[in-house]
Amino acid sequence: MLTVTALSKRYTPDKPSLQDVSLVADAGTITAVIGPSGAGKTTLLRSLNQLLKDDEGTVQLDDVDLRQLSKRELQKARRDIGMIFQNYNLIDALTVLENVLHGCLGAKSTIAGMLAHYTAEEKQAAMALISEMGLSDFAYTACKHLSGGQKQRVGIARALMQHPKMLLCDEPIASLDPKSAKLVMDILRRLADEKDLIVVVNLHQVDIATDYADHIVALNHGRKVFDGTPAELNDAQIQAIYA
Amino acid sequence: MIDSVTLSQEPTQKAPHPVDRRARTLQAFVIGLAVISIYGLISVIPAHFDLWAATKVFIANLQLMFFSPNVGNDSHGLLFQALLASIELAFVTTVLGAGLGLVCGLAAAQNIAPSWLCLTTKSVMAFVRAIPTILWVLIYSVALGLGPNAAVVGLTFHSVAYLAKVFANTIEEIPAQTIEALRAGGCGLLPVLCQAVLPSLASRLLSWTFIRFEINFANAVVVGAAAGAGGIGYQLFVASNFYFNFHEVGMIVYYILAFVFVLEVISTKLRHKFID
Repeated sequence: MLTVTALSKRYTPDKPSLQDVSLVADAGTITAVIGPSGAGKTTLLRSLNQLLKDDEGTVQLDDVDLRQLSKRELQKARRDIGMIFQNYNLIDALTVLENVLHGCLGAKSTIAGMLAHYTAEEKQAAMALISEMGLSDFAYTACKHLSGGQKQRVGIARALMQHPKMLLCDEPIASLDPKSAKLVMDILRRLADEKDLIVVVNLHQVDIATDYADHIVALNHGRKVFDGTPAELNDAQIQAIYA
Repeated sequence: MIDSVTLSQEPTQKAPHPVDRRARTLQAFVIGLAVISIYGLISVIPAHFDLWAATKVFIANLQLMFFSPNVGNDSHGLLFQALLASIELAFVTTVLGAGLGLVCGLAAAQNIAPSWLCLTTKSVMAFVRAIPTILWVLIYSVALGLGPNAAVVGLTFHSVAYLAKVFANTIEEIPAQTIEALRAGGCGLLPVLCQAVLPSLASRLLSWTFIRFEINFANAVVVGAAAGAGGIGYQLFVASNFYFNFHEVGMIVYYILAFVFVLEVISTKLRHKFID
């Protein structure tokens, strides 16, 4: 379970980008974070794995406050948190298999990681994930030759390779066509249900958020303006969120 | 431009048009250069200079060099060995330079190193680069004595600084998010460098290293003569300055040309292979 309490973050003293945001996300659920551009969605997501620091509040993943950890402890804690991105952030020159295997670099010793010494089990696990994502034919293709939807599925496979408890998705479908977007969202839904993951997704499409999420959090100007189930979100509230 | 005229504070006094001023500055600059050049020519040319006679001698010498090359007092074997020595010098300094340059390049890349390290490395490298390779070799030949040691250290020194700069620029082209993506999964910095940064850039880093090899070969030839490091440059120096054997000078130039041609062919092939 992810518990965020009273999280604040400032880039400049007079203009806070997150102010007193609290939320709870359970395993096996999708939490969608919605809101207009610049509302602080990305800032919030990046605070959840402490890619951004210097904020106030607590970010607890299963009773461990990530904000209290040392650099080394945080690096270790991040292995439990997978992340996928709008621009996929894969290594384009490398193959799908190599990119997916990057997911287990964090669990290796520095030397083994540097030499890319993967065990047979890890390679089999990676191949299994690749076929689960429907990319078996592309395992040895360089990622630069893939479409956006395919790249995002590689990104998901890479994140799953970590065996995470939580999956953070920063605008995962913003660069995709509707068909690929649906495919990716279906995968996220399945992962939450079957692998019991905590899934937190930043979205700017409200309809997709209401279709897929169990729980919606809306931000505006860095403040939480809505927190509830999709059923509780009515048109007037949507108007207010995007006002 | 019309604005600048109408907005001028003293409309009665005609302000110089900005374009006119630029043209006038350019004119003054060109005239100044011309004057300096003419003065330079006059002061350099000896009193009884005969352009026609000088041209004739020059052409005759060129003919001696390039239309009747021979090995003079040496042998093809010896010249070939000397060429090999120069190539070896270029190779060793490039390999050393690339290894150290990569480390310094990583330390100088903004998206990887902390800013204090990045700034320090960049400043030191800029200082080293500002002093030409040949000067470094001369400096080290004072410190280490004339010979191959000074040549190797001096050439390596400048290669490191050069490659550190171009490597750092190349590394900085990787988006910070790509690195961040792996860091977000709990991956340490060194594995990220080896698994993400280097594979993405290997072909470009190699092509920069190859360019430096070409530069180092040219330098190795010059350094052979200047620092007594041996090699084809030394043979050229001896043939031209001690024996005045223009035939041999021509032969040596052909040797160097042949190798540079080979290098060019290889680099074109590599470029086709890596940049498709």
